[in-house]
Amino acid sequence: MLELRQLSKSYNGRPVLDQLSWNFKAGEFVSIMGDSGVGKSTLLNLIAGLDTPDATAGASPIIVDGIPMSGLDDDAATKLRRARMGFIFQAFHVLPHLTLLQNVALPLLLNGLPTARAAEMLDAVGLAGREHDFPHQISGGQMQRVAIARALVHRPALVLADEPTGNLDPETADAILTLLQREIKATGACAIMVTHSQFAAKKTDRVLLLSSNGLKETTNVNPFAQ
Amino acid sequence: MNRPIPTMPKPPARDWTIRILMLLLLLLIVASFATLPLKWREFFTVDAINSTMELLAGFAPPETSSGFLAKTFWASIETLAMSGLGTLLAVIFGLAFSLPASGRFGAAPRAAVRALLNVLRSIPELVWASIMLIAAGLGPLGGTLALAAHTAGVLGRLFADSLENAAPLPEQSLRTNGASATAAFFYATLPQTLPQMMSYTLYRWENNIRAAAILGVVGAGGLGQMLKYHLSLFQMPLAATVIIAMLLLVALVDGVSFAMRRALTR
Repeated sequence: MLELRQLSKSYNGRPVLDQLSWNFKAGEFVSIMGDSGVGKSTLLNLIAGLDTPDATAGASPIIVDGIPMSGLDDDAATKLRRARMGFIFQAFHVLPHLTLLQNVALPLLLNGLPTARAAEMLDAVGLAGREHDFPHQISGGQMQRVAIARALVHRPALVLADEPTGNLDPETADAILTLLQREIKATGACAIMVTHSQFAAKKTDRVLLLSSNGLKETTNVNPFAQ
Repeated sequence: MNRPIPTMPKPPARDWTIRILMLLLLLLIVASFATLPLKWREFFTVDAINSTMELLAGFAPPETSSGFLAKTFWASIETLAMSGLGTLLAVIFGLAFSLPASGRFGAAPRAAVRALLNVLRSIPELVWASIMLIAAGLGPLGGTLALAAHTAGVLGRLFADSLENAAPLPEQSLRTNGASATAAFFYATLPQTLPQMMSYTLYRWENNIRAAAILGVVGAGGLGQMLKYHLSLFQMPLAATVIIAMLLLVALVDGVSFAMRRALTR
C-alpha cells in the first residue's frame, strides 16, 4: 500500500530522515513513535506530498497505492491526496462555519462523489442526529469523531493521523482510538498514526520507532501490550 | 520567620516619544489658529447673529406641497440608488483587488495593488466626482462612479487586511486534504472573513449615503443637486424640505445598517 525506499530528508544540510525504508500493508494500523524533533511529522508530510524528499537517483522514495510520488507536480499530488488519503489532526481542524454533516461531506464534494455516505459516517462515529449542529456545539472528543468520519468518508487507501488523541482526556482518547481502529478495519485502509502516547500505540497492530538510526519495529508484538 | 515582603515591580520607563509628539501636535494646532485670518469678533457681533437668525428663520416652514414632496422622494431614491450601486461596484472591485493585496499572489503584486488602493482612497469623493462628471457628464452616473472609485480603495484595503488576518489553519487543513487553492479559499478563508467584510460594506454604505447627498452639489444628481438649486435661488423652505429628507434618509440607513451589522457580528 505504501512503500518507503531509501527515503531521506535534510534541512539546510542537516539530515532529519536518513535512508528510511518500510512497507505498509492495506488494512494495517501502524503507530510511529519517537523523540520530539526526530522527524515524525516530517515523515507524514513527505508521505502526503506536502514536502519533497531529498533527490535520489532512480526510483521514487515514496510509492502510494502503486503511484510514485516523485513524478507528481503540485496539482497531481493534491489530486492524489484528495482521492486516496485521509487526514486526522491533533487540533481536529473542523471548519467552524460548516455543520457536522457539511464537514464530513467535504471530501465527497471535493471528489465529486455523492454525499449520502456523509450521514452514514456520522452515524458510524456515534453522532447520528447531530448532522445539523455546528462544531461549537460539541465537545473535543466529538470533534475528533467528526474528523475521523471526514478522513474516512471517501474510502481513502491511506489514513495519516498526527497525534489524534493529543488534546483528549484518557477515556475519550480510548473511545476515539477504538473507533478509529474499527473504522480502519471496516474500510480496509492503511493507517499511520504518529503519537507520543504509549496508550495510543497499544491500540495499533504494530509500533515503529523512529530514531536517528531509522525506522525500526520494536517487536512483532506491541511492546506496550499488557 | 521573617520573610521579605514582596514589593511591586518598577513601572515601565516613561515613553517620552509620545509626550513630545503630543506637544508638537498641540503646537501645530495653536500655529494653525494663529496663522489663519479668523475674525472671531466679527463672527459674534449682534449684526452677524441677527443675519444668521434671519437666514435660519427663512427655512421655516418647510415646503410640504404634494408635488414638491414627490419630487424630493424621487431625488431621495436617486441618492439611495447612487450610494447602493456605488457601494456594490466598490465591493466587486474591492474584493478583486483584495486577493493580490493580501499577498496571495506574492509580495510584488501585493505592494503594487496596495499602492493602487492607496491612490484610490486618497482622492476624496468630490475630486473623483469632478473627474467622473467630465468623463460621464452631469447626472447620477458620474456620482455613482465617484463613490465606487473611492470606496473600492477603502474596501479593497479593509478586505485585504481581513484576508491576511484570517486564521490560516482551516485553509491549510483543506489543502492538506486535497482541496485546490481556490476551493480551500472559498470553503475556509472567505466564510471566516465574510461577516467582517459585510460589516465593513454596510458601514461604507452609510458613509456613501452622506457622500451621495453632497456629490449632488457638484451636479451628480439626487438630493444634493436639488439642495444646491434651491439654495442658490434662496428658496429656503424648499431647501429645508430637502435637508429634512437628507436627515431622514441618513437616519434610516444608519438604523438598518446598525441592525444588520449587529446581527452579523453576534
